[in-house]
Amino acid sequence: MKEAATGEPILVCREVSRWFGGLHALKKVSVTIDRGEIFGLVGPNGSGKTTLVNAITGFYPPQEGAITFEGRPINGLKPHRIARQGVARTFQNVALFRGMSVLDNILMGRHIFMNPNPLASLFYWWWAQAEEIAHRRKVEEVIDLLQLESVRDEHVDVIPLGLQKRVELARALCAEPRLLVLDEPMAGMNQEEKEYMVRFILDAQEALGLTVLIIEHHMDVVTAICGRILVLNNGAQIAQGPAREAIADPQVVEAYIGKARHAA
Amino acid sequence: MFYRLAGVHHTRYQTARGLWPIPADRWQVLFLLLLALLAPFFLSNLYLGSYILPWLIWSAAALSLTLLMGTAGQLHFGFAAVMAIGAYSSIHLVRLGVPFELALLGAGLTAAVVGSLFGMAALRVKGLYLVMATLAMQYLVDWVIINVPAISGGAQATLRTPDVSFLFLPIDTLAARYYLALGWVVLVTLFFLNVKRTSFGRALVAIRDKDFAAAVIGVDPFRTKLAAFFTSSFMGGVTGAILAFAFYRAVTPEQFSFNVSIQLVAMVLVGGLGSAIGGFLGAGFVLLVPIFLTNMVTWLAAIGWIAVSANLIAHVPLMIYGALIIGFLLFEPLGLAKIYDNIRKYFLVWPFRHSRS
Repeated sequence: MKEAATGEPILVCREVSRWFGGLHALKKVSVTIDRGEIFGLVGPNGSGKTTLVNAITGFYPPQEGAITFEGRPINGLKPHRIARQGVARTFQNVALFRGMSVLDNILMGRHIFMNPNPLASLFYWWWAQAEEIAHRRKVEEVIDLLQLESVRDEHVDVIPLGLQKRVELARALCAEPRLLVLDEPMAGMNQEEKEYMVRFILDAQEALGLTVLIIEHHMDVVTAICGRILVLNNGAQIAQGPAREAIADPQVVEAYIGKARHAA
Repeated sequence: MFYRLAGVHHTRYQTARGLWPIPADRWQVLFLLLLALLAPFFLSNLYLGSYILPWLIWSAAALSLTLLMGTAGQLHFGFAAVMAIGAYSSIHLVRLGVPFELALLGAGLTAAVVGSLFGMAALRVKGLYLVMATLAMQYLVDWVIINVPAISGGAQATLRTPDVSFLFLPIDTLAARYYLALGWVVLVTLFFLNVKRTSFGRALVAIRDKDFAAAVIGVDPFRTKLAAFFTSSFMGGVTGAILAFAFYRAVTPEQFSFNVSIQLVAMVLVGGLGSAIGGFLGAGFVLLVPIFLTNMVTWLAAIGWIAVSANLIAHVPLMIYGALIIGFLLFEPLGLAKIYDNIRKYFLVWPFRHSRS
């Protein structure tokens, strides 16, 4: 288990609530994530994991409660502003730009450091070229780290799902985030791809000094890499703490497989 | 074969991101540019003035529109109105004594400002609703131009373009007007190609492909869409002005009617959305194929191969033309540019056959 947690909080959610019409998707969820740790977010389907992540990244701002990132409040900010604060994420069902090559997708991760300006494009040779090349260097470092050299020039929708997820991770890493949010990075992967992915996440976390918030259903992965976890059920917290202890919590067992006395 | 990736090794990012990384492509572009530069010396005035000149200008218009519709994915069914704003503003600016170079810039800016005002609607609506919003622009601009005598000079009026000079060269002969159009279309093409390899173009594509994923890596959807409308309308406005000064030399509101907007959309679709060569091929197809078909049918009727009445002769080319558009789009929905690309890829991987993608 890689643990570089410092005890210094980087993300604090205080009593975050979110409704969709009559559906109470998040019920006063409070969580503190420390700088440098890998924090797991687990729970059965529909328990509000993705909603919490969407609240943090600005897609569904919480109606109640506060979220602060590095001491600054970020609830209510638009997603692109939160991205600029140093939060990057990947999506459950891969959200790559299908009209671009792998390289362009990863370059897109550098967007917040670039100056997207039509005039710069017009005067490419004098204005944009130097910038493009400088960022290309950074992108190549990430391509090296995640071993994507061979598919660099491929179109993104012709490569297998496992690689697509890796490209999405690369795109997120290129933004040099301090907090990386991974929404089921191993969904739909086979054992080998899963192990690769774990390795890449650990490598990236160590090399770049990241804090990672990860939603994952594979309990073997969660117990292997996460320091602490938060378990949600029906939008409410049912357990929080070191991974193995939280998973062994009777309430968690009940949420996943039901009470013992109901069993035949 | 002559297209080969083998042996092309890039040792610098600069060359790897070049516009034409394959040598054969570079020679082809150079050859076409040379041909275009020498065109006034070997083409008759009829061909130069009535085929090549409008083709170049409409290609620039199609490229301006495809930046918005293809690259940024924002539908626009009122692009002729954008060009009309450019054409009328440039004429009025020149009449007020503004130098032609600045008038072109002013035409672009006016079109860009009005275009992005209507584009604001795009920030809220998508797809068919955006089509409606841009259609509204077409009709509103048409109405304003026709009904405000200060702009159109009266409902039935024709505004002649004043004599102008560009960078001290008088735009008086056909060759001068041709070079003006050629310069503009080369500039638009280079800009379009450069957009596709810079962060601005990537942001446009990102917004088109997955707007939420774009937002999560820091692309501001509002600013990006607005920039797309602004840039595309600016190019459309200048193209409208060039069309007025270099080709029509007299403008009336009908030259920029709704039909023209539809033709522009057809150019972009038939050519291939978001592709530079598609702009040229699409504009060429929509402009020149009807003329070619009419000539052919008339000729076939004249030598007695087919018996058609004079009434029908006007319609047969249009019918074939319609069938051709449907046929091409069935055969390759991504347009003529994709057909060209398929052929190119076939040669790239020759003698193997796994070229289809």
